[in-house]
Amino acid sequence: MSIRLKLILLTLFTALVMLASPWLDFSEAGSAEIQQMIIYELRIPRMLFGFIAGSGLALCGMVFQAMFRNPLATPFTLGVASGASLGAAISVYAGISFTILGLTATSLSAFAGALLAISFVYSISRFRFGFSGETLLLTGVAISFFFSSLILFIQYLSNVADSFQIIRWLMGSLTVVGYQELRQLLPFVGLTAIVIIYLSRELNLLMAGDEIASSRGVSVKYVRYALFFVTSLCVGAIVALCGPIGFVGMMVPHICRLIIGEDHRYLIPATLLFGGSFLVICDTLARLIIAPAELPVGVITTLLGGPFFLWLLMRYKSRH
Amino acid sequence: MINSQNISVKIGDKTLIESISFDITQGDYLCIVGPNGSGKSTLLKTLIGIMPIHSGTITIDSQTVSQFSHKQLAQRVSYVPQTGGSHLTFTVEEFVRMARYSHHHVFSEWQPHDHDMVENALDITECRPFRHRKMSTLSGGECQRVMIAAALAQDTPIMLLDEPTAFLDPHHQVAVHQLISKLNQQHHKTIIEVTHDINHAAHHARHVLALLGGKGLWHGKAEDFLDAARLKLLYQQDFLFVQHPQHNRLIALADES
Repeated sequence: MSIRLKLILLTLFTALVMLASPWLDFSEAGSAEIQQMIIYELRIPRMLFGFIAGSGLALCGMVFQAMFRNPLATPFTLGVASGASLGAAISVYAGISFTILGLTATSLSAFAGALLAISFVYSISRFRFGFSGETLLLTGVAISFFFSSLILFIQYLSNVADSFQIIRWLMGSLTVVGYQELRQLLPFVGLTAIVIIYLSRELNLLMAGDEIASSRGVSVKYVRYALFFVTSLCVGAIVALCGPIGFVGMMVPHICRLIIGEDHRYLIPATLLFGGSFLVICDTLARLIIAPAELPVGVITTLLGGPFFLWLLMRYKSRH
Repeated sequence: MINSQNISVKIGDKTLIESISFDITQGDYLCIVGPNGSGKSTLLKTLIGIMPIHSGTITIDSQTVSQFSHKQLAQRVSYVPQTGGSHLTFTVEEFVRMARYSHHHVFSEWQPHDHDMVENALDITECRPFRHRKMSTLSGGECQRVMIAAALAQDTPIMLLDEPTAFLDPHHQVAVHQLISKLNQQHHKTIIEVTHDINHAAHHARHVLALLGGKGLWHGKAEDFLDAARLKLLYQQDFLFVQHPQHNRLIALADES
C-alpha cells in the first residue's frame, strides 16, 4: 500500500472518529433539547479540544524520539511534563493570576517549568558525549521523581480544596465547557505544528546522527534550540490546561512510524491525525466506561501506555 | 583549494591538533595516516565545521571555513563517517535523496537535476539493486557504499572519508578502494581519506600526510611514503619490505619478531 493511500485512510478514520464520538451515549436520559445542548455545548468542544491536545502531545513526542534517536524518549519520560506540572502547581498554590497576550499565569509557569526540565536534560545529553539511551532515560526518571516530590510538597501545604484540585488535575482530563480552552490551546499547537512541518527535512537528517546532519548542511544547534523551544511551549500549554496526559506522545508516533515509515514529511501529518483521534477515542472511552460518571482520560492513556512502554523497552533492548 | 595555516584544536585543556599546516590542490587524493589518537579524524571534522579550531585558519577556495554557512560548506565538502546509518529504517533511496538537502530551501521543488544526481550516485556505487531496502537490513559493505553514494549525491568538489574500509572484508575493501580511485580520476573529486592501511595509502593516493601526537610529521608524495625509519617513528613498530608480485612496488609488513 502506498504512503499516500495510508494517509487517506488515516484521514477517513479520523473523520469517522470525530463524527461518531459526540453521539456515542449509553444513557438516554433527558429531553431531546437537553441532548442537543449536551452535544453542542459540551461534547463537540470537548472533542475538538481533545483532538488538538492529542495532536500536540503526539507531535512533541515524535520530535523527542527523532532528536534523541530513541523511541522511549518523550516529553513525559524525560521529565518535561513533570517540569510543566510543577510550574502549573506552583502558580495554582500561589494563587497568581494574570494574563499577558492571552496567556494565563498557569500556562506561562508551566512553560517555564517545561523549559527548565528540557534544558536540564539537554545539557546533560550534550556534556556527556556518547551518552547511552539508558542514561538519558534514567536522568528523565530522576527529574520526574524530583519534580513530583516537589508537587507533593506543594499539595501538602495547600488547603483541602486546592489539594483536591491539584490531584484531579494531575490525573489529566479534558473536561471543558464551551470553546474558551480550545481558543487558548489552538495557537500553541498550531505554531508547534507549523515549525515542525517547516523543519521536517532537518528532522529526517537528525535521525541519521548529528555529524551526518551537520555535514549535509543542517545547523544542528539552531534546529535543536528551535524544536526544544516550541515543544516546551506546546507541552507547557497542554499540561496547564489538561494536566499531564501521559504516553500519547510515545504510543502514537511509534505506531505511525511502524505504519508510515521514518520520513517526517509523511510522518508529521500522520502523527497529527492519529494523535488527535487517539486521544478522542480514549476520552470517549473514559466517558462511557463507568457512565454516567467519567474517568479522567489520563487514567486510560496511562493504563494503555504502561504495557506499551514495557513492550517497546524489550524490543529496543533486543535490538541494541 | 584547501589551505590550512597553523591550525590547533583543543577540547578543554587537551590539545588534539597542534599547528598543522598543509595545502591541498584541486583533484588531489590525500591519505591521512598515523597511530590511534594522532588527530586524523579531528582534522577531518575541522574541515566540515563540526570541530571548531582554536587558532590558525583553514580556507576552502580562499574563504575561511568558519565564514561559510552550514549549507554553503555542505555544497563544497561532503563527509563519509566511519560508521553510521546501520540503525536507520530509511530506504537506501530515501537516505541518498536526503543528501540533496544543501541544494534546496524549504519550499523548493525536486528538480530533474536532483533526480539525475541521485541516480548517478546509485549507479557509480552500484547500490541500484538494493535501492528499496531499508538501511538497517544492509551488510557492512553495502552500508558503506550507500554512505559514499549519499556523499556523491551531495555533489561536492571535495569528499572526506574516515576509514571507509575499516569494517569490510578483503573483497569489499578492494571494491571501495577502486570506487574511491574512480571518483578521483574519472569524476575529478578532491579526496581526503583517513586510513590505517599504509600500503593502500602509498599505492593509491597521490599524497600522504602523516600525523603523530596531533602534529604533522610528514607530508609528501605517496610513492615516497614507505620508509623504514619514518614508519618506525610513526607507529613505534619495525617494518619489513617486500615487492608486490604484480606491480613490483614495495609493500610494508609489520615485523613480528
